[in-house]
Amino acid sequence: MTLAEGVQLVSFGLLAAMMIAAALGVVLLSNIVYSAFLLGIVFVSISGMYVLLNAGFVAAAQILIYVGAVNVLILFGIMLVNKREDFAPVRRAWLGKVATGAVCLGLFALLSTMVLGTPWALSSEAAIGDGATVMIGLHFFSDFLLPFELASVLLLIALVGAIILARREFIPDEMPQDTVGDALKLPERPRELVPASRDGAES
Amino acid sequence: MLTPLLLIPAVGAIALACWSGCSAQRARSLALATAGTTLLWTVWLFTQFDLTDPGFQMREFLPWIPQLGLNYDLGLDGLSLLMVALNSLLTWIALWSSPTTLDRPRLFYSLMLLVSAGVAGAFLAQNLLLFFLLYEVELVPLYLLVAIWGGEKKTYAATKFLLYTALSGALMLAGFLATVLLTDGLDFRYMTAMGQTLPLVAQTILLGCLVVAFGIKIPLVPFHTWLPDTYVAASTPVAMILGGVLAKLGTYGLFRFGLGMFPDAWALLAPYLAVWAAGGVLYGAVTAIAQKDIKRMVAYSSIGHMGYVLLGGAALTDLALTGAVTQMVSHGLILAILFHLVGLVEAKVGTRELDVLNGLMNPIRGLPMTSALLVLGGMASAGIPGLMGFVTEFLVFQGSYATYPIPTLLAVTGTGLTAVYFIILLNRTCFGRLDNAIAYFPKVSFTEQFPALILATLILFLGIQPNWLVKWGEPTASSMVALLLPRSVEVIAGDRAPTSPVALETPADLSHKALPIAVAGLKSLP
Amino acid sequence: MDFSALAAQLNAGAILPEGIVIITLITVLVGDLIGGRASSRWTPYLAIAGLFAAIVALVYQWDTANPIAFLGGFNSDALSVVFRGIIVLSAMITVPMSIRYVEQSGTSLAEFIVILMTATLGGMVLSGADELVTIFVALETLSISSYLLTGYMKRDPRSNEAALKYLLIGAASSAIFLYGVSLLYGLSGGQTRLSAIAAQLAADSSDAPIGLVVALVFVIAGIAFKIAAVPFHQWTPDVYEGSPTPVVAFLSVGSKAAGFALAIRLLVSVFPLVSEQWHFVFTALAILSMVLGNVVALAQTSMKRLLAYSSIAQAGFVMIGLIVGTEAGYASMVFYLLVYLFMNLGGFTCVILFSLRTGTDQISEYSGLYQKDPLLTLGLSICLLSLGGIPPLAGFFGKLYIFWAGWQAGAYGLVLVGLITSVISIYYYIRVIKMMVVKEPQEMSDSVKNYPPMRWNLPGMRPLQVSLVVALVATSLAGILSNPLFTLANDSITHTPLLKAAIAEQAAAMVSHTETVETIAIAPQ
Repeated sequence: MTLAEGVQLVSFGLLAAMMIAAALGVVLLSNIVYSAFLLGIVFVSISGMYVLLNAGFVAAAQILIYVGAVNVLILFGIMLVNKREDFAPVRRAWLGKVATGAVCLGLFALLSTMVLGTPWALSSEAAIGDGATVMIGLHFFSDFLLPFELASVLLLIALVGAIILARREFIPDEMPQDTVGDALKLPERPRELVPASRDGAES
Repeated sequence: MLTPLLLIPAVGAIALACWSGCSAQRARSLALATAGTTLLWTVWLFTQFDLTDPGFQMREFLPWIPQLGLNYDLGLDGLSLLMVALNSLLTWIALWSSPTTLDRPRLFYSLMLLVSAGVAGAFLAQNLLLFFLLYEVELVPLYLLVAIWGGEKKTYAATKFLLYTALSGALMLAGFLATVLLTDGLDFRYMTAMGQTLPLVAQTILLGCLVVAFGIKIPLVPFHTWLPDTYVAASTPVAMILGGVLAKLGTYGLFRFGLGMFPDAWALLAPYLAVWAAGGVLYGAVTAIAQKDIKRMVAYSSIGHMGYVLLGGAALTDLALTGAVTQMVSHGLILAILFHLVGLVEAKVGTRELDVLNGLMNPIRGLPMTSALLVLGGMASAGIPGLMGFVTEFLVFQGSYATYPIPTLLAVTGTGLTAVYFIILLNRTCFGRLDNAIAYFPKVSFTEQFPALILATLILFLGIQPNWLVKWGEPTASSMVALLLPRSVEVIAGDRAPTSPVALETPADLSHKALPIAVAGLKSLP
Repeated sequence: MDFSALAAQLNAGAILPEGIVIITLITVLVGDLIGGRASSRWTPYLAIAGLFAAIVALVYQWDTANPIAFLGGFNSDALSVVFRGIIVLSAMITVPMSIRYVEQSGTSLAEFIVILMTATLGGMVLSGADELVTIFVALETLSISSYLLTGYMKRDPRSNEAALKYLLIGAASSAIFLYGVSLLYGLSGGQTRLSAIAAQLAADSSDAPIGLVVALVFVIAGIAFKIAAVPFHQWTPDVYEGSPTPVVAFLSVGSKAAGFALAIRLLVSVFPLVSEQWHFVFTALAILSMVLGNVVALAQTSMKRLLAYSSIAQAGFVMIGLIVGTEAGYASMVFYLLVYLFMNLGGFTCVILFSLRTGTDQISEYSGLYQKDPLLTLGLSICLLSLGGIPPLAGFFGKLYIFWAGWQAGAYGLVLVGLITSVISIYYYIRVIKMMVVKEPQEMSDSVKNYPPMRWNLPGMRPLQVSLVVALVATSLAGILSNPLFTLANDSITHTPLLKAAIAEQAAAMVSHTETVETIAIAPQ
């Protein structure tokens, strides 16, 4: 084992441990702000993995997009909402947790068996390293042109949709009188809800 | 030449449905005119029909969806001719006998005509898929006819009818698809399907499938539960069409497709079918005796009478098959007159209860003419000589006794029981003392009576001169049995020869001996 | 690289219909920005015109000599043309029926149309996509637009709930699909084009590695979510009930057709190695969908939920065609989707019309409708009967073709389940018709008693009427005059090289299978 390989191995172990620990924290901690910050750590460690794989561009993009945009947005969302709500403890919640854990473990076992048992066809080409940006650009304008352009339409429509969902609606005056009260709702009336239990009916 | 039978009623139905400003009276006239034209066209077909040709005549062919093997392919033989005639006649009569004060008359007449067109098409179809299509076409119109204009429990009855018939359609489609695709063909022409050579086991399974499918429609006994509900809930004209024509679609399908396509399997299953038929006859008669509602009684009588048809078909002799074919016609006419008269009684007296009805024969305050016709209808249904019912039943029994003595004897017992319940019916309703306190019945007008008079004339006339009916069906029946006999002998021989060599001779020889004698006997009847 | 040579290689003309849709949607968007609210008078018609132009462009693409575009990223073969046609057509009928609905709810129309057209665009690209990245981006375009449409009535909690539910389940299924696709990428050593993946997989091993099976399962989970096959259907009833009805109409036809296009292309081209497995899985999905969809529909009281379950069941019928994998099988799928388009959209048009006039979609509220609105009654009856497969309507021929193809290929069990469940389906369709037609005047429901007189001259009503009549005429006549449609469906299969090869392979496999059976049968003697 050369020194470089040793450094690689150690940093892989460190990154992996960091990633798994942070990901577990995201799921298990009850304070959502902690979860959000830990998610940032997960993203950073993934970016580190990319660096190890000699994919510098992707690593940079990962940090810029996921940490810089997505994660910050999540934090903004959490802090703007900032609503405390105490949830009534669900009885026998542990049962659900155990079941979920079992399913997840099973899935993990299946996937690891699959990963280990499959003869992966590894590409023989050398990693392109720093030439990646040029190569990605070439692909974007040749064989990946269609998805690239389609993604622009997708982004446009996501933008439009986000504005629609977020904007404050004004209720136009030109609408006929009787529909003003129901504006921005489905024309179908909601049906009368049947109380789920007798207690509900009495209260 | 055959398309007008579908086209005239269909165009009439569409015209009625689209003509929004049409009054009830005018709708009725238009519907009657349409049905009348169809009837005249049918009469004209009789004049064009070539009696010497037992095959299909007046073929019409138009490619429709060749990828599926579905083509517009019509043809006419003796069996179809009689059925089409029955359909045209009963449609006209049912339209005539429908009340003039009907809710939503345009929809009613239009649906009736639609049913008539579909049924006529089904009787003429020479393509299995076309038959299936037209068989399913009448489903929804009939559902609506029962559900909108029916009596009490009408939606329940209509839904039951719909589900049973849809199930029968599904089974039939499965049978047809299997028949054609098992032979590696993509040809749903009836003639091709007739010529298939499937192994006997496959044939038997497919025939079983078709027997259940058509057995629901006929109906045969375990599948009959929709019948009393539907017949009773349906209004008079709809009940006439249901019992008079639609039930024939079942027996027609059974003979045309079951017998025609799988003669080997038919020969194999025939003994069981005969026993089944006899069981149906007895069951129908015994249950009819127990009824307190005259319409329900007539409905159950229908189960018994369709049993004769099946018995005739199972007997493998051309006499019996001729009998079965003519029995289909006579049952249609007799059931129609009975339903009409029962409807008339209900309309005038206001009840169908046997325990309440009494003394309608009373010449002054009762319904004498209606009662007289009811007596005639009952007698015809019970098979009193000189009327149509006797002739056809006699033909069936004469033909099948040679093959299946015991089931035939049981069926004859069933005829006796038929007489029993009709005597109960007639005795309670027509005779006895009319309670003067309640007997203020509206008069029956001639218009209301008219359909029954026509039907009674036909029943009487064809009872005296049966040859006029028999001659149309005979060539087809003979050709069907001819298709059946060589194979059936083979099958039976292969099946039973070691144990009972006598069985070899029974169907073939005896029937040939029996036929001339019976026909001669019939001709000398009047 | 020489630019002109590259341009020629890209063969960008293949996405001309998509280009037309994009241009139209941008014109609508910009026109609405400039014109303000007044622009809603012309934007829907512009959208319809654009979609129509896209159909015309599609017609010209039929049977092009060179269907491969974008260096193998997009395939404009007959199959993709026909599926893109179905999707555009469904959008074209959805736009006129949404005008009045959206106006009455007071939301802005132009954005609605823009998002709907984006969904259409996603579906179209998905039908032709021949490469994993394109597939995924197209799938997401379709999905995200659908989430937005579902939540369009944002003041209504039902719409919000539907959107959230759809978003969460949809995102999860997309993620699973993406995982499966990434496995394919890995298994093939870094290929993204479907044909290259298939070639690489076939070259690597004769028996399927376990990774391929896992990839298959994950991919099927994504597809089954899009076509709402049981057990991936849980979102359907709630989303259908809460979303604006025109959106439901599009989801039940356009989005489903895109899902089927994806299913055919992906499964047939990439997974021949595990073809037994995916046939088995789809058989299970089809049976479950037919049985559960039809049985649960019996108990529904809301029209939209009824149609939701009915659409699940209909997807089950269509899957029969996919499973049998013969020429007739694929052709019957295409044919059924074509007629399903008209009958289902017709049904939804009637539901929209009714809910616009009475504000409800409860089945019991339809009772006695025939007296107040014969056109609506006739339309809904015909569409429902056609869905139930009653002749001589279009749906009957569609079902007949599917069952015929299934039986011909020996899928007896599936066909029998289909036959029995379609008998069940007749029951719940006729229940609605019974409500409308059979009920006596005194049994009329309150909403029908207060039924406003028909005013077709209100803004947005005329297009609704037009789309109703179009759907109605197509449903009643497409069956009787179905020969051209049959030819179209058959040609779309025979002119597709991908399917031709697959069909030939399957036929060969079948023959060898029967031969082995025969040799086994003969051997003991």
